[in-house]
Amino acid sequence: MEPLLEAEMNMTRRELFGRTTLGVGTAALSRLLALGGMGAVLGSTADAQAQTGLRGLPHFAPKAKRVIYLFMSGGPSQLDLWDYKPKLREHFNEDLPELIRRGQRITTMTSGQARFPIAPSKFKFEKADNKGDGVWISELLPHTSKVVGELCVMRSMWTEAINHDPATTFIQTGSPLPGRPSMGAWVSYGLGSMNENLPTYVVLHSKVSSDKPNQPVYPRLWGTGFLPSEYQGVSLRSTGDPVLYLRDPEGLDRSTRRAMLNDVAALNHQSLQAFGDPEIAARIAQYELAFKLQASVPDLVDLTKESAETFDLYGHEAHEPGTFAANCLLARRMVQRGVRFIQIFHRGWDLHSNLVGDLPSQTKDVDQACAALITDLKRTGLLDETLVVWGGEFGRTVYSQGTLSQDNYGRDHHPRAFTMWMAGGGVKPGIVYGNTDDYGYNIVDSDGQIIDPSVDTFTPGAVHIHDLQATILNQLGIDHTKLIYRYQGRDFRLTDVHGHVVRDLLK
Amino acid sequence: MKLPNPLLPICLAILGYSSLTGGDQATEINFSRDIRPILSEHCFKCHGPDVAAAAGNLRLDSFAGATARVIVPGKPNASILLNRVGAVDPAMRMPPSNSGMKPLKPAQISLLRAWIGSGAKYSAHWAFIPPTAPKIPSVKDKSWVKNPIDAFVLAKLEQGGLKPEPQADLDTLALRAAQTLTGLPPTRAQMATLHRDTKPGAYERFVDELLATPAYGEHEARYWMDAVRYGDTHGLQLDNERTIYPYRDWVIRAFNADLPFDQFVKWQVAGDLLTNPTTEQMIATGYVRMNLTTNEGGAIAEEFLARNTFDRVDTTSTVMLGLTVGCAKCHDHKYDPIRQRDYYGLYAYFNSTQDDPLDGNIALPQPVMPAPNPDQEQRLRRMRSQELSLLRTVDPREAAEWLEANVTPVPTSRDWQISPVYSAKSFDEAFDQSAPEEPGKPGPGHWTPLQYELGKDAPNLIRKDNAYVYVKGTISLSRSGPQILRIGSDDGIRLWLNGKLIHSHKIGRGLDAPKDLVTAEFKAGDNEIVAKVVNGISIDGLNIGFGPLGVTEAKALARYRKSPDDLGAQDAVREVFLNLGPDSAKARAYRASAQQRAQFEAAIPMTLIAKEMTKPRPTFILKRGQYDQLGPSVVRHIPSALGNLPAGAANNRLGLANWLVSRSNPLVTRVFVNRIWQQHFGVGIVKTVEDFGSQGEWPANQALLDYLATQFVANGWSVKKLNRMLVTSAAFRQSSRITAVKLAKDPENRLISRGPRFRLEAEVIRDKALFAGGLLVQRSGGHGFKPYQPDGLWEGSSDPASSTHFYVQDHGPETYRRSMYMFWKRTSPPPAMITFDAPLRDTCIVRRSTTNTPLQALALLNEPTFLEASRAMGARLLRAPGSDQGHLNALFELTLNRRARPDELALLTKSLSRYRLEYTQNPAAATKLLAVGESAAATNLAPAEQAAWMILCSSLMNTDEFLTQH
Repeated sequence: MEPLLEAEMNMTRRELFGRTTLGVGTAALSRLLALGGMGAVLGSTADAQAQTGLRGLPHFAPKAKRVIYLFMSGGPSQLDLWDYKPKLREHFNEDLPELIRRGQRITTMTSGQARFPIAPSKFKFEKADNKGDGVWISELLPHTSKVVGELCVMRSMWTEAINHDPATTFIQTGSPLPGRPSMGAWVSYGLGSMNENLPTYVVLHSKVSSDKPNQPVYPRLWGTGFLPSEYQGVSLRSTGDPVLYLRDPEGLDRSTRRAMLNDVAALNHQSLQAFGDPEIAARIAQYELAFKLQASVPDLVDLTKESAETFDLYGHEAHEPGTFAANCLLARRMVQRGVRFIQIFHRGWDLHSNLVGDLPSQTKDVDQACAALITDLKRTGLLDETLVVWGGEFGRTVYSQGTLSQDNYGRDHHPRAFTMWMAGGGVKPGIVYGNTDDYGYNIVDSDGQIIDPSVDTFTPGAVHIHDLQATILNQLGIDHTKLIYRYQGRDFRLTDVHGHVVRDLLK
Repeated sequence: MKLPNPLLPICLAILGYSSLTGGDQATEINFSRDIRPILSEHCFKCHGPDVAAAAGNLRLDSFAGATARVIVPGKPNASILLNRVGAVDPAMRMPPSNSGMKPLKPAQISLLRAWIGSGAKYSAHWAFIPPTAPKIPSVKDKSWVKNPIDAFVLAKLEQGGLKPEPQADLDTLALRAAQTLTGLPPTRAQMATLHRDTKPGAYERFVDELLATPAYGEHEARYWMDAVRYGDTHGLQLDNERTIYPYRDWVIRAFNADLPFDQFVKWQVAGDLLTNPTTEQMIATGYVRMNLTTNEGGAIAEEFLARNTFDRVDTTSTVMLGLTVGCAKCHDHKYDPIRQRDYYGLYAYFNSTQDDPLDGNIALPQPVMPAPNPDQEQRLRRMRSQELSLLRTVDPREAAEWLEANVTPVPTSRDWQISPVYSAKSFDEAFDQSAPEEPGKPGPGHWTPLQYELGKDAPNLIRKDNAYVYVKGTISLSRSGPQILRIGSDDGIRLWLNGKLIHSHKIGRGLDAPKDLVTAEFKAGDNEIVAKVVNGISIDGLNIGFGPLGVTEAKALARYRKSPDDLGAQDAVREVFLNLGPDSAKARAYRASAQQRAQFEAAIPMTLIAKEMTKPRPTFILKRGQYDQLGPSVVRHIPSALGNLPAGAANNRLGLANWLVSRSNPLVTRVFVNRIWQQHFGVGIVKTVEDFGSQGEWPANQALLDYLATQFVANGWSVKKLNRMLVTSAAFRQSSRITAVKLAKDPENRLISRGPRFRLEAEVIRDKALFAGGLLVQRSGGHGFKPYQPDGLWEGSSDPASSTHFYVQDHGPETYRRSMYMFWKRTSPPPAMITFDAPLRDTCIVRRSTTNTPLQALALLNEPTFLEASRAMGARLLRAPGSDQGHLNALFELTLNRRARPDELALLTKSLSRYRLEYTQNPAAATKLLAVGESAAATNLAPAEQAAWMILCSSLMNTDEFLTQH
């Protein structure tokens, strides 16, 4: 804050609490302030050092302080990016064997198809060095292939939902039905803020180069469900105000705003004296925070001080606000400033047809920036305490949706096996976890036998959505069975009554 | 039972009961209040009603279960239960350490001991026993009591050693009452009347006036909209628009007309099953259709049938029963006596409606109906009867003869085909654009076969708003010559015959609207006809008829020939004769009237309704709630713990509705009066308004709750009377000042030791700002409006194919309507509303959170509506002659409904000079600041002066006092 403005403030925080003459003890006041919502979105102002999360959290020493979740909305094709199936070339255009499909339900987009013809990937794979056994990776991810030494690639993800809305809602909130809090909201609620001047949970939306229709992503996915609404993700926008209504109107300069806020504070202070309601003190503090946000957010999104070297790393698209590259760079700036949970959405992965034509544009949007983010976090020493997660809501089918030709194919939704990766934040670097059958259709054990994983028990080698959620929370020092919220007489948690921490993924 | 244990009051106190109960109640153990919560919290998860899972076959939820094994009534020392919960050895202690549940506190164990000692009596959970009218307690300070509510409240306060606060001053009280009943501040006229009225009962008369304003129904309806998750879109995936706002308008009408609440419930749950339901009763069934729907590509109908039905059951149980039955979807409820088969028993009432589980992504998925309001309905009736009297003057024989001479045979047609559907941004663009299939374009385009017959309606060709499609076919005639085509379309139409454009009609209409008669030159042999159908909104369709008279007319004639004495048959030929027959004064009058009526009908919105299938779908338990995992079959039934269908009631939704509002349902009245209490006091008597089950909170004052519930029924389920009783109580009228003593003794005001005090809801805050600015437009009902909204919110979050992808803001008076009419896109609701804790409306919400965040401050400071309201308010103040001090006082009256205090006047006078100086020195800044919003700029006011006042107005709208019900 400018010294001039600081001097103009007619009431400091100490004064505020010092002048509270109604016998409301400071302790009671801070407690009520916290209840009133200071904690979550922006942290407590009553005491900068105050613990703003729940008492008793973290449950144990966290490996990761924050999360950057790169959400590839629509369902990226594991078969064309991560899950290399060379034998499929021999089965081109053959029908998917029933021994493999095993009655698995199919969306109504392809359930009417007369045939399920095998579509081997048109893309070349190479084995990249991950300082371990190596990992097969598609030619579409040349930059990512250089950082696989940091990645923990999970090829045996599975989910129960088969359409976008339920599947995305499921992975974001732990339930395919609307109404539950998102993962970021749970984390905000449990752990609170690390920087009172920025939101705790930030959501970024990325431009997509392809002009294909995109799957929608909407506020429910970063909402709070039944948790108080202050824990919801704050969308940081690349056009207009970065945070809604952040900018003062034209014709109102900062010193006038300060003067006006001083009047509001003075009037509110009189109300506090007259009515003795601690909520009023909280309101006064929130207005001060709002004033600070008006400076800290523009500073956050101002990339002009980033070096040329950094832009080389992320690619020239990072100069353009709203690109996935610019968002990754912003994410790095946010973790430096203590934002706890960042989610970057990139849409357009739902390639039911012309996958061969459209997938390269999708990967081009994200590949370099993903690799840059890992490299950048590593070189700035942040990767160890930052968990990076990459993936979509489900995978894609091995059989072609619509016409299969030598040159092209489409793929329908596939929930039974797909690939995601994590990096940093205490997960094992340079490993590949889980296997699928020769068709990339089912998860198999180390002997190649098909596994039918159940959500009720932990199945080594398979990672259910709830397992992923449990593992992410675990890295943040949260026991997923203990971060609960009672609503309608029931204790709810992100992982419902399921989920297991997948220890094999962890250092 | 008298207490054998002298430590009990202390135990109760430690557990926090004393503040809520006290008095003689505290000396008695009440199983339901004191013991059941302990068992429920620590034991029922494994030893509760979830029979299948009861660990070690031990159940502690019944006397029989508990006394069979671990409790010996009257003998605590012989009861194994106490040994286990009190065991020092963690391996022996219950609940087990690995269960995730906490061990019992010593005070809880003492309570259990005392309870077992006194006989270990079980009683049903309080909320499952129907309420009976309690005795009105006697109190010391009888003069304070204005109505029986106060006796119940004061009894508690006196037990707790607290005194009520003095009555709030009249201005504060009037503001409080107006805000809580109408969601708006009182008008100046209302305040003047109140101040003039010095006779006793002035405040009560003021309240009655508020209850009689249309704003009351709107405000009350807004809470109901949260509960039923009202939205203007489907809510999932594409999230296209759907039309159900007539339901919202009906709810408003119902509250304003004070429709008895039992009827209000019955019509919504089962209006379609009433005998000869009225239009209003049918519109009300929109309640059943309010669930989220989808038609996402690939979606499986059976899956969504289950999801939709879950949504209906869960909402109904929360809204009407205050119960969370959702747990029983997968297994027997662990805490409440709701078995899994009970859940599917309720499910069976809702899974047999006619609507398709997938919504077709259209605005009006069937069943739907026109929804005239009562005024419109009456006017329609008048118009119809006028037409009928004209009709009856026609001799049916004459009409039939004319028909005989004019009916032409329909030629044969074949090879009907249809093009892909093309979307556009607007109806205009859709009408003007062309595609390869259009005659004259390079073509040939993409055609697929279509089943079609001349003269028949072909509905749902497009199924998209602002989109178009081409239909073509071959018509064969034996000889050449002019022919008359009769074209019906929904909406616009362009028509080509043998490559030549012969007709173009840009119109919004339905297939039943009067048809276009087009004369065209046909060849002998094959003729190719191409129609472009352009849909604006919702339903679409096409009808290509031949000759001035078509199939309908021929049928009318045939019917008349068959039964010439039948009045209906006579009217049918009369109607054709007047519509299409020879010109006459009578025919002209009839056609004019019919056309007028058609226009009037076209302006009447359609709405989604519920209709029952003739044969119910069979219902099965869905294992783990999975739609494709069928368990045993289940018949419709009410959970036995909650009562039974009334004798003679049909076992369908109507029977369910009858039970919901019957005396045997212990919950519905308590749940509703509790929510009304929450509206006025900020917190319910049962704080967990959504959960009256055993895990929910014990009522802070059960006698009061039961009094209100029974009184509600005694007063004919009148919601207005209920509101009036609450708002005229002395309890409500107290000052909302919080003293240190009360903050300590009654921090959440559960004892009502002071007046209500809580932040106002999002909608009220915006409406108040517009009201203060003189901008609020109080037009009731209708389609949702779209106010200012930051660019890109819809576009950035939705599929480009969605009908709600582009946000097109409204302009003019629409923009200033009450917030409850904002268009509600459920995947991207109005951002300022969400910032102030409005729910998304994708699930049932009966209690909003009340947060206090910096994002709220930013919205109030910078959102254009609030800035514009400040600007308009500044101009409003300045237009009235007067001094700065006079204007400042008016400013306080408009925003806070009170005069300014001297220190406030001093503060703001100083600021005013500062802003004046600043904007006088920088007139450009003033002009920029005043540019906000679309309402007309004030003329004849100095910009600097106006800007300075605008900032003061904005300051007042940002005060806690403005935002707080107090």
